[in-house]
Amino acid sequence: MHRATPPTPPLPPLPSTDRLEAPERPSRRGAMRLSALLCAGRLRLPAGYRHGTWRPGTAAAQLRNPPGLRRRKIFVEPIAREDWKVFRGDTVQVLTGKDAGKQAMVTQVVRARNWVVVEGLNTHYRYVNRTTKYAGTYIASEAPLLLNQISLVDPEDRKPTEVEWRYTEEGERVRVSLRSGRIIPLPLRQRWDGIVPEQWIDGPKDTTVEDALDKTYLPSLKTFEEEIMDAMGIVETRRAKKSYWY
Amino acid sequence: MGLLTELARGLVRGADRMSPFTSKRGPRSYNKGRGAKKPGVLTSNKKFILFKEMVPQFVVPDLEGFKLKPYVSYRAPEGSEPPMTAKQLFTEVVAPRIEKDVKAGTFDPNNLEKYGFEPTQEGKLFQLFPKNYVR
Repeated sequence: MHRATPPTPPLPPLPSTDRLEAPERPSRRGAMRLSALLCAGRLRLPAGYRHGTWRPGTAAAQLRNPPGLRRRKIFVEPIAREDWKVFRGDTVQVLTGKDAGKQAMVTQVVRARNWVVVEGLNTHYRYVNRTTKYAGTYIASEAPLLLNQISLVDPEDRKPTEVEWRYTEEGERVRVSLRSGRIIPLPLRQRWDGIVPEQWIDGPKDTTVEDALDKTYLPSLKTFEEEIMDAMGIVETRRAKKSYWY
Repeated sequence: MGLLTELARGLVRGADRMSPFTSKRGPRSYNKGRGAKKPGVLTSNKKFILFKEMVPQFVVPDLEGFKLKPYVSYRAPEGSEPPMTAKQLFTEVVAPRIEKDVKAGTFDPNNLEKYGFEPTQEGKLFQLFPKNYVR
């Protein structure tokens, strides 16, 4: 196959690190199946899938990881699920690199590659939303950092510490700073769509909490359809003709 | 690898052979249904006889004073009722009646129909097995 330019996949203009999920719009027939699987919950990614900062079901991921793609394996230090210490919303300090010594909040975590994306740090600049007429917006986009370039921060000291998982006297599993022994609280886990249930205001089509939790079920031996027939006074004496299937 | 990068770029030529050929594709004369069932019979005269029984009807009870709505508030906690099992249904509905009769002394093991026992599903409009209603 003769090609003039070296084969690099084209980077379409995308908005930067936008975690709010638009409804999945598959671009190709293979893409449709993967997003359907993701909607079902259980993720089935191919072996050797190259994880990036994009979410596996989105159009960006499908563009970069079409089915049948094989890339060089990236070796990642295996960390057990229970030993993972950094979560989205945590304050961390960057230890190495251009922004060494600065602290910021974690906006994204990619466990498959031990990556942490910190807000506003370790940035490079790029143009987004480029069109033929418009050069594009020049924005700063954060590059992911590995876990060994990151350190969790003691909440009162505000200095980087080593952290361990330990159990309190009540039996709760917490992260404890090894230098001072203080507990680092887990960041508040927000919903992906930004809804805070405690602050939710019911709309006209929402059942209220009291009506939803009201127990009105009366167990009976009739099926639902039979109960409705009795309630509405429908009498049906005809019976379906007997049919057989094998 | 070459073919796949080209596929990713959309440079593979040719029509999509594997997607279903529905009535939305093809010329105007290509008339194909989308799987709707016919509620009647087409005679040799090409006249279609409609059977009213085959036309589905919605039986909706009066929803006056019905408090449940299509959606549930986000503030509602998860329910605590376990799903109903056959054993639980029996314990709640049938067992008290049998106990009452046993204590009164009128329990007859040959006449279990009055507690809801159905020896056969023949003759019922909504048969449980084999299930002949759609839910």
